[in-house]
Amino acid sequence: MSLNIVGKSVPRADAREKVTGTALYIDDLRFPRTLYLKVLRAGIPHAKIKNIETKEAESIPGVLKILTGKTIGIDPEHFYGTCIFDQLPIAFNKVRHSGEIVAAVIAESEKTALAAVEKIEVDYEELPFVLDPVDSIAEGAPLIHEKNGEYKHLPTFTPVPNSNIFFGYNLKKGNYDRVFDGADIYVEGEFEYPLVNHVAMEPHGAIAHWDLAGNLHLWSSTQAPFVVREVLAGYLNLTMNKINIHVPSGGLGGGFGGKSDYNIEPLVALCARFVPNYYLKFQLTREEVFIGTVLGRGLKGYMKIGAKKNGAFVGIECSQYYADGAYADTSCNVVLAGGHNCTGPYFFPNCNLKSFGVYTNTVPVGAMRGYGHPEGQFMVERLIENLALKLGIDSRKLRMKNFLKPGDTNSLNQPIFEHNGNVRECFQRVVDSLNETPLPGSNATHYYGRGFAALVKSPVQTANASSNVFLKVNEDLTVSISIGGVEMGQGALTVLAQLAAEKLQFSLDKIRINPEINTQITPWEWQTVASMTTMRVGNAILIACERAIEQFKVNASFHFQCDISQLNYNGKAINYKDKEFPLEKLVLGYQYPDGHTEGNPIQAVGSSVVRNVTLPDSRTGQYHPYEWTFGAQGCDVSIEKSTGIIKVLHFVTALDVGKVINPATAKGQIYGGVMMGLGHTLMEKIEYDTKGRMKTVNLRRYRIPKLSDMPEKFSCIFVETPQPDGPYGARPIAEHSAVAPPAAILNAIQNATGISFTKIPITSSVMVEALSRRK
Amino acid sequence: MELKFKVNGQEIFLQVNPNDSLLYILRDRLHLTGTKNGCSAGHCGACVVIMNEEAVKSCLQKAKRLNNAEIITIEGLTPKEPSGELHPIQQAFIDATAIQCGFCTPGYIMELYGLFLRNPEASLDEIKVALEGHLCRCTGFKPILEAAVLAQQYLNKK
Repeated sequence: MSLNIVGKSVPRADAREKVTGTALYIDDLRFPRTLYLKVLRAGIPHAKIKNIETKEAESIPGVLKILTGKTIGIDPEHFYGTCIFDQLPIAFNKVRHSGEIVAAVIAESEKTALAAVEKIEVDYEELPFVLDPVDSIAEGAPLIHEKNGEYKHLPTFTPVPNSNIFFGYNLKKGNYDRVFDGADIYVEGEFEYPLVNHVAMEPHGAIAHWDLAGNLHLWSSTQAPFVVREVLAGYLNLTMNKINIHVPSGGLGGGFGGKSDYNIEPLVALCARFVPNYYLKFQLTREEVFIGTVLGRGLKGYMKIGAKKNGAFVGIECSQYYADGAYADTSCNVVLAGGHNCTGPYFFPNCNLKSFGVYTNTVPVGAMRGYGHPEGQFMVERLIENLALKLGIDSRKLRMKNFLKPGDTNSLNQPIFEHNGNVRECFQRVVDSLNETPLPGSNATHYYGRGFAALVKSPVQTANASSNVFLKVNEDLTVSISIGGVEMGQGALTVLAQLAAEKLQFSLDKIRINPEINTQITPWEWQTVASMTTMRVGNAILIACERAIEQFKVNASFHFQCDISQLNYNGKAINYKDKEFPLEKLVLGYQYPDGHTEGNPIQAVGSSVVRNVTLPDSRTGQYHPYEWTFGAQGCDVSIEKSTGIIKVLHFVTALDVGKVINPATAKGQIYGGVMMGLGHTLMEKIEYDTKGRMKTVNLRRYRIPKLSDMPEKFSCIFVETPQPDGPYGARPIAEHSAVAPPAAILNAIQNATGISFTKIPITSSVMVEALSRRK
Repeated sequence: MELKFKVNGQEIFLQVNPNDSLLYILRDRLHLTGTKNGCSAGHCGACVVIMNEEAVKSCLQKAKRLNNAEIITIEGLTPKEPSGELHPIQQAFIDATAIQCGFCTPGYIMELYGLFLRNPEASLDEIKVALEGHLCRCTGFKPILEAAVLAQQYLNKK
């Protein structure tokens, strides 16, 4: 199949708006009669609320309303959530993390609202708190949710009453109670992947408006407008046809999971009810993004693997404890994904894998780029490195020996097929790429090391997730497509237009994907997560295009008076034998010379529902997630002996992407994911003080990578084993490059210094201290 | 206080609070929303504009220092016609695929505008120093650095 537009680095569809500053994000929207919401946050991690005094604050001119759990009119027994229904929009009688909202002020300006927030006084009865997931499950730990186990929840998630465990997952494969039978050699370790923040450059915001007919209009920087609608409908007892969730036309200023599934929207919607016909705006500050949205990762884990003398893996045992914060949020699914993906792309005949979602007095954990995979696979890749040292064989050979190959089964007992992708080729190409430049030998000032890791990731999505699109061909043969997928930087608008142009054989400038979302008129979409937009929305677009072509043929069949099977479509006309009829005369149906019309306008719906995804079996933990993407990463690092400064010299990523739709945007995903993974490895960590308050509340104290942290050389390699059900063979790629940097970099550090780290981040001070301890 | 200054060539008179930031005045008084607020603390660079021919973080500039200042924002670089020719730095960001979510983009473009105004022959190291004060979470920086080099080529050809 020769392709004209798919596979080309066409410019981004949204580029002009973005370089001119005219792309509209949530904070850029302007509405008449706008009021502002600001909130008081707890400031202590765990306490009972005895009293909230708002009188003085209310007396400030320009303050319209002050709302607390007691005055906002909520039923304290009616919760929202998507996995475990354990949340209220505002604290009722207890706070469970220091960023929790206890009072909300509606005022004429943000400044006035902030002045009022300062005047609110809260009387607390402080409770013991717990930040660490292992401490949180220890005997005598403070109970964070007295009602744990009583909350409504999806059947998959199994809370343990009278404990802080809201979900325990256990995956069993093969000889699961004796996983090491037949093993000759073992390696084990305890690992930590800290809590981290997504740091999308755009802080979260939402604007709510109730019209006088009782309709809710809510604009939000959300990756999941239809989940927000579902949550609001259930929580506010509204019919869905009265809810309009909008995503601004400029899309999101980054997401990375931090803007899914729901966040500040229930509170803004609820508060706006007190000021009908006004527009109520709640724009978070950077500090609030840290202390009051969601975080990612937060794993403490133990893993052990056993192998034969020849290096063949026999079994794996793992226990993972996730510090998931004050509410279960979507971390339930991260716990599940972390549970079964911690084996990496390796064949283990026997598995006993446990993972626990644990309440802690920290910010709730939600989705984050990688979703359980980086934390789990960090452990296995570090252990493989140590196993190779123990066996005295090359770790690259040990990996090659144990990679999943067609005919093997993964941890979920799913068979692996050729079409799932080629991890061996990815790994070999990473090795070859690094080998092009010899690693410098360590000298008086620096150590040098090279490290590798492989990866696998599946999209974690609900079993009936779908994407849907509306496509219409306009009279001038341009095409307008509405999607529910959110553009948040990943390039969805560009790549999806390429797919439509290719399928319709139209030039790219004829295709416009509508960037604006309104749940009232946009087709249904589960949500923009799990790297599934190219694949799932893309498939829906291809189906809509096929139907549009079909309708062109139906309309043409009236002209040619033949069966549609005899007609051909070429992007300009419909052909019948040696005759042709132009498409533009078929857009509104077929009109006979006397004016009467047959056929229909060219408008089509396309749907793509994920198939054969099942829910975990309660006994074995086994289930069918979706398809897999395999890859490998490796790097060269230098370590300055005197300062401990670690520089990544060359970072290589190879992914079996199935088919590259747009090489430039695909590479952009890889560079960005690697830098995020590098940040987690070398600098990023959410920290709390001794009183349980977050210390890392701005971008100086919570440092993310800057330009100078970029590897000197950055390589991307695409392997293309077509995905049978992917659009033109494409498969998910957007999160994957963030999976293996921690292991690859730590393996390189071990190669350079002999020091085996199991916790990240390795800052220069951690490094220099480890070097001095070694001496 | 009464503030008199120039924004994108236009004379502006405004009643402001002396401690209002330039960022606040641009976005919330003049509704020039192309300048972005990423942190309000000078850490991210999303709000960089040109003030008296220097790239500055507008969140850190107070109104009391702005009298008679000449400000250029991303709107000042942008063609007035819908299909008008973009500024070469803007075009370079498109050509190098140096944009993802776009939130940091205006800040980067204004930083480079300020740099090349002062120093059209800036070396790669000088470009890197200028861009070091900006955060981007999407692109991994490489395409942005490529865009900067390309922008310099475009500008020097003109």
